[in-house]
Amino acid sequence: MASGVWVLIEHKGGQLAAISKELLGKGKELADALGQPLGALVLGDSTGGLVEQAFAAGAAKAYVVEDAALANYTTDGYVAAAKAAIEAHQPEVLLTGSSLQMRDLTGALAAELGTGLAPDVTGIKVEGGSVQAMRPSHGANVINTLSFGEARPMIASVRRQVGQPIQGAGSGEVVKVAMPQVTIRTKVRKVEERTGAVNLADAMVIVSGGRGLGSPDNYTKLIPELARVMGGTHGASRAIVDAGWIAYERQVGQTGKTVAPKLYVACGISGAIQHLAGMRSSNTIVAINKDADAPIFKVATYGIVGDVNEILPALTAEVQTKTGK
Amino acid sequence: MHAVVCVKQVPEQNSVKITPDKKVDASGINPIINLFDEYAIEEALQWAEKSNGQVTVISLGSDDATDSLKKALAMGANEAVLISDAALADVGAQGAAKVVAAAIKKLGNVDIVFCGKQSTDDETGQFGPALARFLGWPQLTYVFKVHELTASSIVVDRALEDTLETVESSLPVVVTAVKDLNEPRYPSLLKIRKVSKQPIPTWGLSDVGLSVGDLGGTIKISDRVPPPPRPSGEMISGDVQTQVKALVQKLVESQVL
Repeated sequence: MASGVWVLIEHKGGQLAAISKELLGKGKELADALGQPLGALVLGDSTGGLVEQAFAAGAAKAYVVEDAALANYTTDGYVAAAKAAIEAHQPEVLLTGSSLQMRDLTGALAAELGTGLAPDVTGIKVEGGSVQAMRPSHGANVINTLSFGEARPMIASVRRQVGQPIQGAGSGEVVKVAMPQVTIRTKVRKVEERTGAVNLADAMVIVSGGRGLGSPDNYTKLIPELARVMGGTHGASRAIVDAGWIAYERQVGQTGKTVAPKLYVACGISGAIQHLAGMRSSNTIVAINKDADAPIFKVATYGIVGDVNEILPALTAEVQTKTGK
Repeated sequence: MHAVVCVKQVPEQNSVKITPDKKVDASGINPIINLFDEYAIEEALQWAEKSNGQVTVISLGSDDATDSLKKALAMGANEAVLISDAALADVGAQGAAKVVAAAIKKLGNVDIVFCGKQSTDDETGQFGPALARFLGWPQLTYVFKVHELTASSIVVDRALEDTLETVESSLPVVVTAVKDLNEPRYPSLLKIRKVSKQPIPTWGLSDVGLSVGDLGGTIKISDRVPPPPRPSGEMISGDVQTQVKALVQKLVESQVL
């Protein structure tokens, strides 16, 4: 019978990714509720040091597939490695992050195993002995509760900040799994950092600008600077991305990025449904807009009615004074 | 080259309602082609034009999804197939992928499948990868640029959060498109009129050799609710200096800053 809650470990430069530590925290909750052990699934070409980090973050077992074929992520290589470990040790649950690479993997892995996938979930829990996952759809207008069929493992790709990391847990047992024979049909020729790449999904503070700024110059002058002093990054509404003020990378909303930072500051953004879809689950929302009836104020924690071009320089200065940045 | 494009018809706005029996009700909202699928159609058309190839569009949906298929035909696709069956009313992404894979096998001689990276309604992003697995083909997801496409191979850039990956793959292959992969064309009125009478075959589950028992049922949606309302906000009034001082004070006090 299937047993164990596993977390697929994401790592870079020998360090566990923040999402994996969060998921080990969430995985421990699920494992305790199910009365099963917490495992870490570690895939890579050089996994030294990762298992100790996984144990420190709560794992009792680490299932390791180490092979040169896993140096770069490929769907074929990672599906084969994960499948080999899963078939040998039969976990009940597998959690992964919801980065694009993990979305690529889990969609394929679930189909390969004929098992259920709850994609991009914002919550997962054990309710009456069964695992349930929550995920938004339809631009966050619908919150779905998902339950799984009989097939195991139940797979969920989980967003950031759903789990809390555990500090300083103990040691554990390492279980090696051999890499199976597999033909990898794709070849990664090159991986480069994206110029001007911005990981909005991981930002704790996002300051976004919209058409109310009046011009691209005002955006460039005011928005990145406020984001900087607040310790965050800058985003944008679809209107100004479409108008060519700023790259699509920065777009928050249904056809851009979905974000849920600790603080979201919407400057000169009226709050079209498609924008709200991408940011309404932010913890604290500040809205600054000259139109008191703008829909953005309906989701705002704090609202200021006024001209963003007057308010933002004053706000930047005040944040600097108060926080010393 | 024979390219298949998978097209989903979705509500233009996501202001959907939830029925008492927990289904999504999109009635009264204009149905459109899923945004990301438009880029998939355009990419298939461009490569087919270069190689004198052929493009077939497939949609799994209700009968009115022929509207989206007709638009794809008007954009330049050669053939369209609608997969529609009462048994597919609540099918999930994985089940849909299994059915469409069977339809693509039935078409035969397909070299490449393009689809959007995800739909704007269900947003699972699961269809493309599942489809590739059920076809037994490799997959290239989140494709931002197709550098070259020959009879036996493809080279693309995948746009990930922080990195750009250049990847090559053998064919046949499944490619999923991100926004701005290209600039989707507008169909001309002449074309729209021309395709309006083109017959679109409808295939049911049995036409692709499957039955309800094959659909899996690996995931069940047991509840749907609207998002919890946000606690009502606080408007900060006064002159600019008063407003920004009060705001920063509140953000610092609540440990947001």
